[in-house]
Amino acid sequence: MWKQVRKYRAIYFMMIPVLLYFIVFSYYPLGLGVVQSLQTDVLIGTPEFAGVRNYVALFGDPQFWEAFGNSLIMGIGTQALVIPLALLFALGLNEISNRFIKSAIQTTSYLPNLFSWTVVGGMWITILSTNGLVNGFTSIFGANSVQFMAERNLAQFIMILTASWKALGYYALLFLAAIISIDTSVFEAAQIDGASRLRQLFSISVPALYPTLKIVVLLGVMGLLRNFDQVFVMENSMILDKVNTLLLYIYTNGITHFRVGLATAAATIVLIATLLITFVVRKLIRYDESY
Amino acid sequence: MMIKRPNRLPKNSLSPALLIINCVLLFIVFVIMFVPMLYVLALSFSTNLGSMSSGIRLWPDKFTVIGYIEVWNRVQLWRPFFNSVFVTTVGILIEIFLSAMSAYVLIQKELPFKKMMTSIILITMMIPGNLTLISTYYLNKQIGLLNTYTGLILNGLISGFSILVIRGYFLSVPDSLAESARIDSAGEVTVFMRIYLPLSIPGIVTVAFLEFVDKWNSLMIPVSITTDQNKFTLPVILRSLVFNDSGESGMNYITPNVIMAAIVISVVPLIAFYVFSQRFLKTGMNLGAVKG
Repeated sequence: MWKQVRKYRAIYFMMIPVLLYFIVFSYYPLGLGVVQSLQTDVLIGTPEFAGVRNYVALFGDPQFWEAFGNSLIMGIGTQALVIPLALLFALGLNEISNRFIKSAIQTTSYLPNLFSWTVVGGMWITILSTNGLVNGFTSIFGANSVQFMAERNLAQFIMILTASWKALGYYALLFLAAIISIDTSVFEAAQIDGASRLRQLFSISVPALYPTLKIVVLLGVMGLLRNFDQVFVMENSMILDKVNTLLLYIYTNGITHFRVGLATAAATIVLIATLLITFVVRKLIRYDESY
Repeated sequence: MMIKRPNRLPKNSLSPALLIINCVLLFIVFVIMFVPMLYVLALSFSTNLGSMSSGIRLWPDKFTVIGYIEVWNRVQLWRPFFNSVFVTTVGILIEIFLSAMSAYVLIQKELPFKKMMTSIILITMMIPGNLTLISTYYLNKQIGLLNTYTGLILNGLISGFSILVIRGYFLSVPDSLAESARIDSAGEVTVFMRIYLPLSIPGIVTVAFLEFVDKWNSLMIPVSITTDQNKFTLPVILRSLVFNDSGESGMNYITPNVIMAAIVISVVPLIAFYVFSQRFLKTGMNLGAVKG
């Protein structure tokens, strides 16, 4: 075996930079985070071992639970809205025979997925402002102008809608790719047997999309507790407690207020929660079973 | 010779009523997706006063580039713009080169420790990068990367995802090509540079595009590790422009046309790269499905 290793000497050298990078920028921060979560906060000098004190403080912080709840509501809300919509959108788009119209709709809906949240957030903050597009539209019907971004009751709903707006085209693209790969002879056979096109869609296309659906659901679940960019851009003091997410909580405590122990404890809990939720959902949707 | 079917099936499509409903629904989706973008474009070419007035305005009140001039000079968007261009370009070049190199290692047959090295890469894909934000900040502090271009480039430089995708493309390169080169006494570096890299251009462009989007839009790490205004990237400066804490005073009020101009400037490179890579993306886009 060592003979083999010597033979591949040059090859191993090519691997060194990447392995080194991952050790320093992935594994080291992961370990450091766990260590920091068990230490006291000091601005100067060496931190001391604090046991689980940070975790106790974390679990006693109502803001943490609020952020946990908000993350779940907005995350699940977005997935529940965008996945069925994208599925219908892809099915509908596939029925369009005009190539140009089809690709125009598809490209337009895909573009927002490329934009950063600073772009999409800035866009919607302006659209929802008192002089914005939505108020311009509702004023036709004589409605009074509303400052949507300051409406506490609408805050979470706005986050769900804008996140769905951004993700719709991307999800639809994934579904569309799966629809196109279905063998056309299956549809022909169904047609000969007298199935209507609508019936074909729901009895052939939709079941054929299950594997894609599983991937999309799993991706959504893994990102569930990781919402940062959107709320970091779109929050304001009026609605902060309604849209504060776990990552924003970690950022505010760790970077702004230097409460490193509390922030890293929260990060560790979120990491464990994400792995747990992912594991449970994997089992629930039977992700690992082959079709 | 073609054999013509005696009885062709009628066109397999929805009934006319359903087709109309479908078209109407798709049109509504199109409007919802398109109008916000058109609105941004229209506002960015409006006058300061025109962009502040209310109503539905999907066309500039008076076509002007005043917003672009203001955002470039007064807000000095040029600096974060070129910071972003520099950091993203250098980052992509290094990432693609290093990823391709390690992908080449992972396609070697009978290489000892290959499984171990593959799992080291796979596990990094399971660690949600942004959860290690705080410790990443301290790592950067320890090795002196705060407020440096090096820090902006190095954090999040390589993704296990791109290594695996490039590896997939390398696997489709026929072995015999590499074998014949080796018989002609070509070294490993030559085989990698002269055979594998050129033959995997479509895959590499695909990965470069997906990574470009990620790096260009990156907000969380840059906002945490930079406090020096000269090192701000586009998303950081854009966030401070659009961030609205309803306490804005008349003094430094930035009119919507200026903000929208900044938004348009920051998405132009994305759209340009998207258009350029379109022909390569036809095969590559599905790969985005497994990005975790």
